[in-house]
Formats: sequence, C-alpha cells, structure tokens
Amino acid sequence: MKLVGIVSEFLRGLGEATLFLFTMIAALPAALLRPRLVVQQIYSIGMLSLIIVAISGSFIGAVLALQGYRTLAQFGASSALGVVVAFGVIRELGPVVTALLFAGRAGSSLAAEIGLMKATDQLSGMEMMAVDPIKRVIAPRFLAGLIAMPLLASIFSLMAIGVAGGHLVGVVMLGVDDGSYWSQIHSGLHPHDIIESLIKSMVFGVAVNWIALYQGYHAAPNSEGVARATTSTVVVSSLVVLALDFILTAFMFR
Amino acid sequence: MTPTGQDILVRVRDLRFAFGPRVIYDGVDIDIPRGKVTAIMGPSGTGKTTLLRLIGGQWRPQAGSVQFDGADVHKQSRAQLFEMRKRMGMLFQNGALLTDLTVFENVAFPLREHSGLPESMIRDVVLMKLEAVGLRGAAALYPEQISGGMARRVALARAVALEPALVMYDEPFTGQDPISMGVLMRLVRTLNEALGLTSILVSHDVEEVLSISDYAYVVAGGKVLERGTPEAIRTSQSPMVRQFLDGKPDGPVAFNYKTSRDYATDLLGGAAA
Repeated sequence: MKLVGIVSEFLRGLGEATLFLFTMIAALPAALLRPRLVVQQIYSIGMLSLIIVAISGSFIGAVLALQGYRTLAQFGASSALGVVVAFGVIRELGPVVTALLFAGRAGSSLAAEIGLMKATDQLSGMEMMAVDPIKRVIAPRFLAGLIAMPLLASIFSLMAIGVAGGHLVGVVMLGVDDGSYWSQIHSGLHPHDIIESLIKSMVFGVAVNWIALYQGYHAAPNSEGVARATTSTVVVSSLVVLALDFILTAFMFR
Repeated sequence: MTPTGQDILVRVRDLRFAFGPRVIYDGVDIDIPRGKVTAIMGPSGTGKTTLLRLIGGQWRPQAGSVQFDGADVHKQSRAQLFEMRKRMGMLFQNGALLTDLTVFENVAFPLREHSGLPESMIRDVVLMKLEAVGLRGAAALYPEQISGGMARRVALARAVALEPALVMYDEPFTGQDPISMGVLMRLVRTLNEALGLTSILVSHDVEEVLSISDYAYVVAGGKVLERGTPEAIRTSQSPMVRQFLDGKPDGPVAFNYKTSRDYATDLLGGAAA
C-alpha cells in the first residue's frame, strides 16, 4: 500500500514537472521578446559558473594527460596523447562535468532565488500585477541556461585540451611533441564528435535548468522548502545528467 | 446593516472555500462599496488573506461567486483575469517588492509591463507616486536598504501606479512601530480619497482599522459575525465579536486548543498504564 503511494506520488510529480516544462517552452517566445532580461540572466548564470568550470577543466585535462601518458608511453604511443585527452574530454567529461558543476553552482542558486521569490510573495505579487511570472521570471532564466550550458561546456573542453590542462602537462611538462599533439587531435577528432558533444551539453542544459526552476517554483514557501529545493536540485540533476549521459552515449557512439 | 443601496464594486456571494478538510469559508456574503474603505477583521487564521486571494482570482472557491465590477472573477479566461487585475492593486503583508530592482524600478515595474508609456512619462509617474508616499528621496535604494514600513509604502506606490479601481491591503499595520503605523493609516485614507479608490483593509488591529474605515466586517469560523459601520461594530453585543474587540483571552474562542482527552487522564494516563 505504501509502495503504491510512493509510486503514485512520484508519477504525480513527474506529470507536474512535465506540464511545467511545456509551460516554460510555451513562454519562450515571450522571453525572446525581452532580450535584455535574457542577456542579464546569461551573464549572471554563466558568469557564476565560468571560473569554476575553467579551473575544473584545466585540472581534469591535466589528470587525463598524466594518466594517458603513463599508459601510452608503455607502447611508445605517447604522441597520441592529444587525441586521447580530446576524446575523453569532448565526448564525455566536457559535457558531463560541466553539467554537474552547473547544477551545483548555477542550478542551486536558481532554485534558491526562485524559491525565495515565492516565499516572499514576489511571484504572487507579480501575478496580482497581471504579470505572468513564468514569462517574466522563469522563461528568461530557462533560455539563458540553455544558451549558457553549451558555451560553458565548450570553455571547459578548450581549457582541458588546449589552454591549460592536457597541453600544459603533456607538451610543456612531459615533453610530448607539440606538433603531433595537435595533429593527432586534428586527424582523430571528427566534426560529429563535436556536434554530439554540443548536443549532450544542450540536453543536460535543458535537464538541469528544468529541474532547478521546477524545484524553485514548486518549493514550499518557507525556509525549509527553499533549503529542500536547492538540495534536490543538485541531487536530482546530478543523477539525471549521469543517466542521460549513459542513454545518449549508447545511442550516439555505437 | 449592510451597505445596501450603494454602488457595490466587489460582491461576494455564498462563498465556500476549504484547504482539504479545513473549511475556511462556509457561505459568506460580503459587499465592498465603491469609493469607501472597508475593513475585514477577524482572529488570526480565519482566512482574511485567503479572501483577498479569492477576490484577486489567485485561488478558486469550491462554491459561490466573487464579482468585481459586475463580472465574475472566477469565470474569466486567463487573459481577461489579467486585464481585471490591472484594475486591482494588492499590498502584500511584507510588501513583496522585487529584491533585484531599486525602489524606483519597483514602482515603474507595472507601468513598464502594461502602460507602454515613454520613459520620460514613466519617470514622472513614478516620482509622483513615490512623492505621494513620501519616498521620492529613496528612489535609488534597494528594498534591502529600507525599513519594513518604508517597503510597504513603496509597495503601496506600486499598487496604485496603474490607477486601479480597487486596492487590497493585507495586514498593512502588522509589526509596525507607532509612527510608521500612523503614516500608513493616513496614507490608506488619503490615497483612497485623492485617487478615488475603493479599499479593502484586512487586519486584526481593531482600533486603528475601525478609525479609518467606512464599513467593517468581522469574520471568524468561516462566517461573517458582524457587519456595519465602525460604531455598529464597536457596540456589537455578539459574544464572539466582544471577545475579539476587547481582547479577552478566553470566551467563545477558547484559550485551550481543542482535545478529546481530559486533562487529568492525560496527565495520569502514563502512570496508570
């Protein structure tokens, strides 16, 4: 009996969240009519995550290069280091780690912001001023998140492969030839790898923003509700990102 | 003594509303006469704020109707309801100012969203509204930089920015020091006259509210207990109304929360077992 209750509660939440997604999508044209609000949100959502994404990208690229070099050197294939790092980053770690960081940094703050706006009657107040909060508050944030996520993932990949991470460790520290590092990437990596990486990060962007905004908008209007919304945003979106990554990888890289 | 024969702006008929099993309104009739200040009073938790949300169309009653200027609030499409709300201003208990906007931008918000006025005119209107509540000097401040009483005055300026027909005040005096309470009371009254508004004032600050309202309702337990002019309310003989007005700790509203267990058995029950 209890299990039935849990399942029906889960399905009810899922249905509510799906409806919320459709309402947001329906409000996207309204958000496009207010480019200034969207730009503001890209700035605050994107800038919030930029530094943490860039630093994480550098470290992850560096570690990949260290580990990859050790294995490749055993076979005298250390010149392939670039493509090993690039595959790892572009196909998997770039979109996935960026999405996890984005959920922790931007997602949690979105959920808290919206939850607090609800708790302090700001959303009700807007409704009473005949302004639809979905159009004015939620949709611009959703759109901004959709734009910011692929950009952040690209910055992550650039940092990991070229600017600091892999290149710094592989070429500058371990002495892999600069030319072969880049030419291996050039010949090994295909445009569809990059396109699929971008598709992944867009899908993750939809998922994380959807979860964060839904959690904030449906938070109980008190401090406990806001706390719960931020926590569930991070937990749920991390799990959803990892699960979606598995599904997308299974379809894309067969 | 209902305000009969007058022009009624908001007409509530046989309103029933419940949160799950908890009945908030069990068939109430309320008339809000145009151009007057009408007070809705009652103990905490009787659903006074709920009434405002029902009038504003944010919540739906289970039965009964709310008419605003002749049209049923709950039979409108979303677009029609939003049109209607442009003619209603609501002042939330804590002001509900948008925290990422300055005082000026908060008052400009409904004008920017709805009026289509040029920037120079918006600026003039905002400054006039802020001057009316005495806060023109605070235009550049953010909500976190002003006091709670000032936030309510800004919210009031914002609520009247679109020149609405009706302004609803949700507990405007709660938690205010005597000075800012006096300021708010005077503003409610003077704005009502100066802008030709109709005001609904929800509160449990009995004396203050009765001193500035033209009509008053006392609601409790889902019913209207008393209605009429402030004098009629003050001289009411209903035991419940008397307890509310005189602030008696015990009476029809019991001091003790209802329980089915007897005090003695509750205390000794553990020892007996």
